[in-house]
Amino acid sequence: MDKISIPIGPQHPLLKEPLSMKIDISGEKVLGGSLRLGYVHRGIERLAQQRTYVQDLYLIERICGICSHIHTTTFCRAVEALLGIEIPPRAQYIRGLMCELERIHSHLLWLGIIAKHIGLDTIFMHTWHDREMSLDIMEEISGGRVLHAVNQIGGVRIDLDQEHYEMIRRILKKLHSQVEGLLDVFETEPAAMARTKGVAPLSTELIKSYGVVGPIARASGVNFDIRRDDPYPPYDQIDFKVITHSGGDAWARTFVRVEETRESVNLCESILDNMPDGEVSVRVPRRVPEGEVIVRSEAPRGELFYYLRSDGSDKPARLKVRTPTLSALSLLPIQLSAINVADIPVVLAGVDLCVACADR
Amino acid sequence: MIRSLFYLFVFPGFIFQIICGLTFEWIDRKLLARFQRRVGPPWYQPLADLIKLFSKEDLLPERANDAVAALLPLISLSAVLTAGLYIPVAGFSPYSFEGDLIVVIFLMSVPTLAYYLAGIVSVGIYSILGGGRSLLQFFSYEVPLLITLSGPAILGGSWSVAEIMHAQVELGPFIIYQPLGFILAVVGLIGKLKRDPLDIPKATSEVVGGSLTEFSGVKLGIWHLVMNVQAVVGIFLLVDLYFGWTKLANPLTSVSIFIIESLIIAFTLSVTSAIFARLRIDQLAGLGWKVLVPLALLQLGFVILMGV
Repeated sequence: MDKISIPIGPQHPLLKEPLSMKIDISGEKVLGGSLRLGYVHRGIERLAQQRTYVQDLYLIERICGICSHIHTTTFCRAVEALLGIEIPPRAQYIRGLMCELERIHSHLLWLGIIAKHIGLDTIFMHTWHDREMSLDIMEEISGGRVLHAVNQIGGVRIDLDQEHYEMIRRILKKLHSQVEGLLDVFETEPAAMARTKGVAPLSTELIKSYGVVGPIARASGVNFDIRRDDPYPPYDQIDFKVITHSGGDAWARTFVRVEETRESVNLCESILDNMPDGEVSVRVPRRVPEGEVIVRSEAPRGELFYYLRSDGSDKPARLKVRTPTLSALSLLPIQLSAINVADIPVVLAGVDLCVACADR
Repeated sequence: MIRSLFYLFVFPGFIFQIICGLTFEWIDRKLLARFQRRVGPPWYQPLADLIKLFSKEDLLPERANDAVAALLPLISLSAVLTAGLYIPVAGFSPYSFEGDLIVVIFLMSVPTLAYYLAGIVSVGIYSILGGGRSLLQFFSYEVPLLITLSGPAILGGSWSVAEIMHAQVELGPFIIYQPLGFILAVVGLIGKLKRDPLDIPKATSEVVGGSLTEFSGVKLGIWHLVMNVQAVVGIFLLVDLYFGWTKLANPLTSVSIFIIESLIIAFTLSVTSAIFARLRIDQLAGLGWKVLVPLALLQLGFVILMGV
């Protein structure tokens, strides 16, 4: 058959964010593909240099609509490191709680998308319904479903009371049983297994040579998690499991993400159990002393990297953000060879694209 | 004259079948919504959608063949409506003749071929991909479906749907003798209707809208109507072939039984579309030729042995 080139994006039912791919196919076989990025580039790193640190907080929260909290957390940690202050333990725990709720919501969102792409619309509807629970908690304690504005330099803006604890525990219990059910579907439903098992496998060596991080790397047997390997509070005081799988295919990526969701629900519970009392923020000076710092956090999609340089003024001299999606995107052309046209959605979804994060 | 016009246009012809088609669409959408924790559309939604599509602008790409693209949905609609005329509805079949089962099966294949051609004449990349897929799918489900549907014909000793239906008054419903055949026929029907999990030719995430990607307005509306009427005709066919028709003293009871039997099949279609993931085209071809065909032959062999 002749070679046909099909365009996927910038607008396509498959994509939630703009991204352009040209995929060469012959019949139902995919020969290869090329990628074009930059449709949502907003120049955020440059904009951050023109604003004060406090204003930057609100700018950086808008890098991504799914993992907005982890971006501000990492930024605050960078600024606090330059200031040389330690935030109160209670603030650290509230930040951690929000991070884990965000991970639950991000992973469930992704699960729904992969279910939709393989034609399991029912699971899509159910996971997005369950995801609402974690959004409800976040809305209840911070006032925002997507942009929470919880962090401030020197602590957090919100505090939890006894009613919050009870509400969160009640919802988490419900969420726990729902996640168990989801795992059951992806582990036993034959058609879902047939669509994901053995699709676009990635070897450990390939993952390491491309520097891919997060659930994709862990699904290929790379045992790496910033929360455990470069711990920051509150993760240095709490026990949790790092989920890995040696499969490396689309099914392993699904498995890792569902298991991580379950682990995050447990983590939320133990954060609540160990929540210390006290203040939630400290006063900080407006100007940040000269210096530079690198901070890493574990975002839902993997390692999030911030480089911050200060020249002693109230505005950053340079801010560099490296998001996990970019490294995963670099593997996309390799994954898009020797598969079926029907596997394109599975491969694309497996990357867990966050184009807004990658473009900034 | 007036009587045959009534048969053609009111019952069991045009108007009745279109009403049934829209009702089926509503039941299907409502059930699916309830399975997915949604509320679902009100009863008039399919009709409202149809009116909306009919009032919209009709556009096709510049290089597309407009006349053929307009003709294809009309041919498909007339084919499925004609097929519906030969299928007894609640035991009533004015045009039944010996061999109409074969005519019905032939007419039911017309929309699939028209769907393939629609993909080719509307020249979109996704349309051509979807069209090619629909033909591949056709070859995967049609053979087991044909073998399966010959089971009731052999058991009933006739190739007329009405005769097969009446034969079940004596022998009892054929689903008792051919439970496997019934399941295979439902799978074949799902493939024919391109419903989830066999909606490979129109999988949104893979080929956007399949053959109908470039269609809009009246043409798309008629295509939707074709799919719904085809579903109803297929359901009535399965009810006649596998459940039969029992004429009771009270006609209302017999009609209710027919409606309930149709609803059971409609419910089965909705449940399967809700709980299964979409197959890949190579997986479907494997399923069709390695699993469905041997099973259909097994069922056919059993029926022939029983006849002897």
